[in-house]
Amino acid sequence: MTRCATWRPKRKLNLLRSIIRFSPRLSSPVQSQDSAALIRRANIVTPPWLLHPVSLSSIINRETKEDPVAFSPPPPPPSRAIPFRTRHRPALGREQRGCKPRPAVPALLHRRRAGRISTITLARGSRGAARRDDMPAPAGEVRSLMRDLVEVRAAKLRSSTSAFEGFGDGLMSLTGVGAMELAESRGFVLGVVDGVGKIGASAEATRREGEEAGGRRDDDEESDEDMGI
Amino acid sequence: MDIDDILREVDPTFHSVPQETRDLQDLTRAWVAERSAPELLHWPAGGLFERINDNIKRQIEKVEEMTGDMDPKTNFALIVIQTELERFKYLVRSYLRARIAKIDRHTLHYLSTDELRSRLSEMELAYATRHQALLHNHYLSSFLSSFPPVLQNLNDTAGNISMIDAPDLESAVFIRLLKDTLVESRGVDNDGEMDGRESDIVILRWSDAKRLVETGCAELI
Repeated sequence: MTRCATWRPKRKLNLLRSIIRFSPRLSSPVQSQDSAALIRRANIVTPPWLLHPVSLSSIINRETKEDPVAFSPPPPPPSRAIPFRTRHRPALGREQRGCKPRPAVPALLHRRRAGRISTITLARGSRGAARRDDMPAPAGEVRSLMRDLVEVRAAKLRSSTSAFEGFGDGLMSLTGVGAMELAESRGFVLGVVDGVGKIGASAEATRREGEEAGGRRDDDEESDEDMGI
Repeated sequence: MDIDDILREVDPTFHSVPQETRDLQDLTRAWVAERSAPELLHWPAGGLFERINDNIKRQIEKVEEMTGDMDPKTNFALIVIQTELERFKYLVRSYLRARIAKIDRHTLHYLSTDELRSRLSEMELAYATRHQALLHNHYLSSFLSSFPPVLQNLNDTAGNISMIDAPDLESAVFIRLLKDTLVESRGVDNDGEMDGRESDIVILRWSDAKRLVETGCAELI
């Protein structure tokens, strides 16, 4: 979750002996005051579809019109992802051997298929849009679409807590939500869920007592029948 | 099956993740889990922290060696190494602080049974015991000594009310499923269950999520 950037190589850092071994794809950061130049020279990649107004508006359309409740589907998990490149296959092998996957799903970082959105890419995109000047469309348009998308998803996350209003079944799926969106709304969502749980605590205790008493009564009846009474 | 799969079967170390990288991943996961869980989790087994501390120590020595060098190439390497070192130190510090905060809040609870005690590392256990002893002595000398002897205990369970404060296991957490599994949960009006798929994100109570996290079917986020 703390590893959010995909780097492309310009210079190799093989000679450095660091605590973790740098992958050969990691490039060296370049010191510069100019952040745009830094992003270009460090080669942080924004998926091209993310900076295009057509694909952005199609995602917004899906988020708002087609399915106003659920989030867009996340990228497939590593074990189900279709390997686009051979070098991403090891993730699949490790999964099958029962090793733990990485903290951040690699699919979130590497796959660049339009429509499968993760907030890591979204955040990276908005950073890219803020600083790039060679975009395929007018920067203002892309930025406003990007802001719309971020706001739509944040509003969805907030409104999803209404599922708990009716004291639901204590389980809520938020599949598709991104790590950074979650971090932003964590306090609010957990506060609502815990608060509702506390308000309904006595009702729940009563229900459980009732269920237990009911279960006991059923047992008693059965045993009565067994005895032929 | 392609060439990678064949190679992997012949040589298990093919494409295997280096130990150092695995340690970082384990540390990151432990840190995220510890910060999200309402109660103290088990201290990581397998000498993870010894390895990480050794690495950090070695790297600090390396930085000291390199500081004397005026070569610009070394200087650049130094920046990268120092940045990485700071990142490691931040993770370790934040992880330990999250644990100490929990131990401080519910010291008596974590010292009360052997099962709970086994979650603490040796240093943490020593810290908790000593901290509690100091606190108790302080309370005794400042006000507890003027109470009747029967009321001087800090872990009284008279009248079916325990004085020992325990963490709230019913608070909600976010989990991400790592395997397809059945997720069961208790709610206010009814108990729910769903067929979870890998990488689904679910909110539920920690008491229900604990089993999934401990069996490795899910991780806290």
